[in-house]
Amino acid sequence: MIRSFEKRAEQKISGFQSPAADYLEGRLDIAEKLVVDPHTTFYFKMEGDAMRSFGIDAGDILVVDRSLKVCAGAVVIAFISGCFSCRMYMVIGGEAALRNDKGDTLEKDMSEISIWGVVTAICRGMLPAGLKQGRYRDVCTL
Amino acid sequence: MFALCDCNNFYASAERLFRPELNGLPIVVLSNNDGCVIARSEEAKACGIKMGDPEFLVRDLIKKFDIQVFSSNYVLYGDMSERVMHNLARWFPRLDVYSIDEAFGWLGGVSDLATYVPRIRKSVVRNSGIPVSIGVAPSKTLAKLANKLAKKNNGVMVLDTDEKITAAVHDFPVHDLWGVGRQYYKKFEELKIETAGQLRDMPEMWFKQHMTIIGQRMWNELWGRPAIPIDAVRESTKGVTVSRSFRNYIEQPDILAEAVTLYATRLAEKLRAQGLRCLYLQVFLYTNENREDHPQHFPSHTHKLLIASNNTSDLVKIAVTVSARLFKYGMKYRKAGVIATGLVPESELQLNIFSAHDGGKKDRVSEVLDKLNLAYGRGTLRMATEGYEKKWRLKHEFLSKGYTTRWTDIIKVK
Repeated sequence: MIRSFEKRAEQKISGFQSPAADYLEGRLDIAEKLVVDPHTTFYFKMEGDAMRSFGIDAGDILVVDRSLKVCAGAVVIAFISGCFSCRMYMVIGGEAALRNDKGDTLEKDMSEISIWGVVTAICRGMLPAGLKQGRYRDVCTL
Repeated sequence: MFALCDCNNFYASAERLFRPELNGLPIVVLSNNDGCVIARSEEAKACGIKMGDPEFLVRDLIKKFDIQVFSSNYVLYGDMSERVMHNLARWFPRLDVYSIDEAFGWLGGVSDLATYVPRIRKSVVRNSGIPVSIGVAPSKTLAKLANKLAKKNNGVMVLDTDEKITAAVHDFPVHDLWGVGRQYYKKFEELKIETAGQLRDMPEMWFKQHMTIIGQRMWNELWGRPAIPIDAVRESTKGVTVSRSFRNYIEQPDILAEAVTLYATRLAEKLRAQGLRCLYLQVFLYTNENREDHPQHFPSHTHKLLIASNNTSDLVKIAVTVSARLFKYGMKYRKAGVIATGLVPESELQLNIFSAHDGGKKDRVSEVLDKLNLAYGRGTLRMATEGYEKKWRLKHEFLSKGYTTRWTDIIKVK
């Protein structure tokens, strides 16, 4: 769940009233751009490099929405032979299929597979190890 | 028209959403402390597991049918419930959440229910991942009845005509009716009333005489005349309780103080969330009455506060002091609880002429406590008497993860 903090810090000023007081807007919050609907959104974490050429690296946090109807080209979370997997949903010759980046695992038997949700965005930390310290230790990591 | 939306085998369904390999397999969820079965998947019902069965009695069945067992993960169920309810609320002009897995919706002004209701169901099931059933009828009692029928009818049952209602009540078992308690079973038996249809055909006077005003309402409701409004006011709370069993027996007063501190903390939080203060605080302890070889002790004491309070430090202090007095060496305590009664709204604080009121400061501390624990997770800031090791904490050997509430618990994909 997204914890919403008070978005607009109330300006308590002891001296002169700030001339900006009448013009305050809520500060930007990245969650608005990442999560369309918190009640249908779940999070997963990518492990391994099965989706590297689609731009998803190991360690990325996947934002997954269950409300979307899957269509060709969507990156999805699917439950394949006992495991949650991240795959590209494609339609090949009128038939649905799932593939990873190399195309070496192509799942065609969709009756065995359930699509759990659609990946709407990924979150990736960019800090090198040397900067992952203190408050910054957990930027986009679990 | 009213709708009753109900999650199918809610706890079991919530567990399965994150373990799809268990679809089609029997699973059960155990109560706090892994005591009894409180939820079953359809497959587990078919294995002969009953609601409320103690875990140790069905252990053989569990082994025989390879039933998957879960401890109750209320963190997960609470979040999944919120998702279901929010998704439902988008479809109803009014929604009254009735319990963790049920809600009454009001469908005033909606035409074409035959297509609208299946659409609600489809959307909520997809968005939340939890299967729901929806029963629709002109009254709440009938909606509840329709919901039971929906479970066997692809999850939707709309009783929008007199013919459909009459057919539905005709062979609906009277014991399954909403609002029919055990106290009426005998009466029904004497009169050979077995179905809701037969009950409905009784004269109105009979309901008035034998089932008071509630019966009269039921009679109207069964005939499709709503007598219970959508936002029927819940009876105002008379008491708030926090009570739990311990993992092992507690035989030391300092360990007991830890447990009681946690319960009183929770109680104070609950009171504040409801905007209430309590004037009486009852503390009780139980030994295990099933063990005849143990000495038994069921002490209880109710403390009267000078000024009604709901701040953590007051309630913890009282609870710990009282529990220390109740405690007797040589007893093996199995369970403890705290009950707040004499509840008054926060806004109506009555002071005491003989006692100074320093509640304001403590109330502010509690407010900060609530805010911090909301932002950083429950128990981030707590009373020191709660201790660190908490060996007495509930047993939950089969607890699943906080898939939707803890970053460290989100599912990893390949």
